[in-house]
Amino acid sequence: MNKRVAVIGIGSSKFGRRNDVGIRELTWEAVREALIDAGLTQKDIQLNVIGSTAYRGTEIYPAPPASEYSGLVGKSPIRVEAACATGSAAAFTAINAVASGMADIVLAIGFDKMTEVDTSASLAIGGRGGNYLWEFHMYGTTFPTYYALYATRHMAVYGTTEEDMALASVKAHKYASLNEKAHLRNKVTVEEVLKSRPISWPIKLLDSSPISDGSSAAIFASEDAVRKLHAEPVWVKGIGYGSDTSSIASRGEWTGLKAAKDAAAMAYSSSHVSPTDVEYATVHDCFTIAEIMAYEDLGFAEKGKGAKLLRDGQTEKDGKVAVNLFGGLKAKGHPLGATGLAMIYEVVKQLREEAGPVQHSFKNYIGLTHNVGGTGHYAYVTVLGR
Amino acid sequence: MEGIPLFLKYDVSIQGYERFWEGLKAGEVWTTKCKKCGTIYYPPQRDCPNCLSSDMEWIKLKENGKIMTFSIVKQKPQGFDQEDYVVGIVRNEDNVDLMCWLKGIPKVGKDVKLTTDGKRVIGVVV
Repeated sequence: MNKRVAVIGIGSSKFGRRNDVGIRELTWEAVREALIDAGLTQKDIQLNVIGSTAYRGTEIYPAPPASEYSGLVGKSPIRVEAACATGSAAAFTAINAVASGMADIVLAIGFDKMTEVDTSASLAIGGRGGNYLWEFHMYGTTFPTYYALYATRHMAVYGTTEEDMALASVKAHKYASLNEKAHLRNKVTVEEVLKSRPISWPIKLLDSSPISDGSSAAIFASEDAVRKLHAEPVWVKGIGYGSDTSSIASRGEWTGLKAAKDAAAMAYSSSHVSPTDVEYATVHDCFTIAEIMAYEDLGFAEKGKGAKLLRDGQTEKDGKVAVNLFGGLKAKGHPLGATGLAMIYEVVKQLREEAGPVQHSFKNYIGLTHNVGGTGHYAYVTVLGR
Repeated sequence: MEGIPLFLKYDVSIQGYERFWEGLKAGEVWTTKCKKCGTIYYPPQRDCPNCLSSDMEWIKLKENGKIMTFSIVKQKPQGFDQEDYVVGIVRNEDNVDLMCWLKGIPKVGKDVKLTTDGKRVIGVVV
């Protein structure tokens, strides 16, 4: 990056089935909080980037109405989309606008209202998250099916079990119970996860993130702006991206995500940080197997040993690398466009030591976000530090 | 309140891929190979991004393969309101990985014979 970029404001709505708001009011919840957090008004924002997949809502071109409601008319928006990594694509675009010197203060907003359609429509839209004609059209693949193909292979090759995967769900629900903004705040047991309804075996209902509504926002600023505003910055130390084939069968291996490995390698090298330096991470646990693969793809665990890291409690609060202490996608919720920016919100809260009951103890204040789009079609890894 | 429903009907182009869809009706799986650089594409492609050539030939894929992974679809999407089905990925003797529906008791590593049901590729567990 040409210029250093900092996060100087963050906001997030409550996630969940939000029948009490439309997409505009939902967006405002995050924008308002981010503006107050940064001590700025809309006048200070030079560019507004919006991430929303929008396929499941009535408002399929949601950026103008959401911007208007939030008092951001005239600040563009640029709308970006990268499936479940849409929020990170918005952050990536905003960060680069600042790093290039084009703008000093940029607001990135991510949101989706996914509960306006029913579950079978939602599964048919998610099933198109690959290659329509050669997958969904012929085989009726759902989004859980794609991740289930990874789970089955990981189980066969590395001996990962359904019990191991259930542990990721138990951990997520435990931490979400402490997060007032989380979608699912009930605790669950391994037995409850194992007995929950199969969706696309081996993935069961309690292995899956819920279908959620939510919004998140972050304000990015140049070093000059940080100095002028006397802001308390969290710095973007490095960013990486990766991608893979649209058809899942063409990938040749189904035990990890190449996109995430490539994104991680690029983020580590650009930030001069190694996996063992990372003290806190948000990982893309849309399904429980995804959390186990993320540990391996990010280098927190050796290939095939992701489940062991989880079993050993090394990813709990105050463990070697704390992961998803706000409840993860699994229990906090996964409103696609909001997720990547909710990850930045969470890591910034942790690095500022504003995370209350789930505050992790840091030595070097290094955090990371890992956001996957589609079933590994896109990935973004961002390293943040104080 | 209820929003206005949006009905989307699609007209999908399969021009240049007729051999694949005709093959399915005959119980065969066909795909394309670049005549210039020899790359095999599955799903088939009319163009080769590897050498920029569009001079492709159709080849018939071999029918023996092994299950790489699979999943049993219990909760179905719109358009597939039917009994459970098993989505699998099979590696065949041409070293091509294909998505298919598996019939029989699936297990990773088991041998399958590739055929079709007229509409899609089917892997029958041997």
